[in-house]
Amino acid sequence: MTEDRLQQMLKSALPPAVDREPSRDLWPLVLNRAEPRAGWSWLDVSLAAGVTLVLIMFPGWLSLLAYHL
Amino acid sequence: MLDEPGGDLLERFVQGDQVAFESLFRLFQIEVFQWVFRIVRDASAAEDVVVETFWRAYRGRARFDSSRSFGAWLRRIATNAALDHLRTTRRGWRTGQMSREVPAPAGSDPAIVDAVARAFRTLPPRLKVVATLALIEERPLAEIAEALDVPVGTVKSRVFRAVRALRTELRRLGVRP
Repeated sequence: MTEDRLQQMLKSALPPAVDREPSRDLWPLVLNRAEPRAGWSWLDVSLAAGVTLVLIMFPGWLSLLAYHL
Repeated sequence: MLDEPGGDLLERFVQGDQVAFESLFRLFQIEVFQWVFRIVRDASAAEDVVVETFWRAYRGRARFDSSRSFGAWLRRIATNAALDHLRTTRRGWRTGQMSREVPAPAGSDPAIVDAVARAFRTLPPRLKVVATLALIEERPLAEIAEALDVPVGTVKSRVFRAVRALRTELRRLGVRP
């Protein structure tokens, strides 16, 4: 099979793409993507660490926490 | 490729000016979309890759050398984003997508079309991109090399490897010229 023959088969099965345009305005999506995403604040981290520590020290409190969640 | 935007616009973009960023987006979005669509061949996926491309460009704006071509820099980012898309979508081009977005010409033997499409899907993304651009889209090797940020020799070598892999797979599927 020559490369030309293979190329011909490829182009027959997968024709070259026709130039087209996006179906919608993509700028709002780019803008959303570029905005900084909310991460964990120091308060969130401290709270999570505190809760984890308490649960390690008092595992029985897990059911109490689960009840309140 | 489009004319290069003005140095002032690029300078403001590098400094993080969102108005300049939007101007560049409006100037280049269609060109980037068309380039990416050639690679991923699915309009919805191409839109996602365009968004990812401009996001990466904005995030990496400090690394842009304003003495060089903005269009070429953006095309490199777009090609990498398209390549990442092909890597993450494990099946890559699905037959259904291909028939919906870029239909095979009338009169093609469906069995051969299916075999070639299946063989093509087995190519690793790195070879698939080069084979698409060089063999199907017939883009110049220098243009592909610039988009992938590799030497022309590397593109030639990848085309060779893609052709060899396709031949092997087609033989396995029982397709003879």
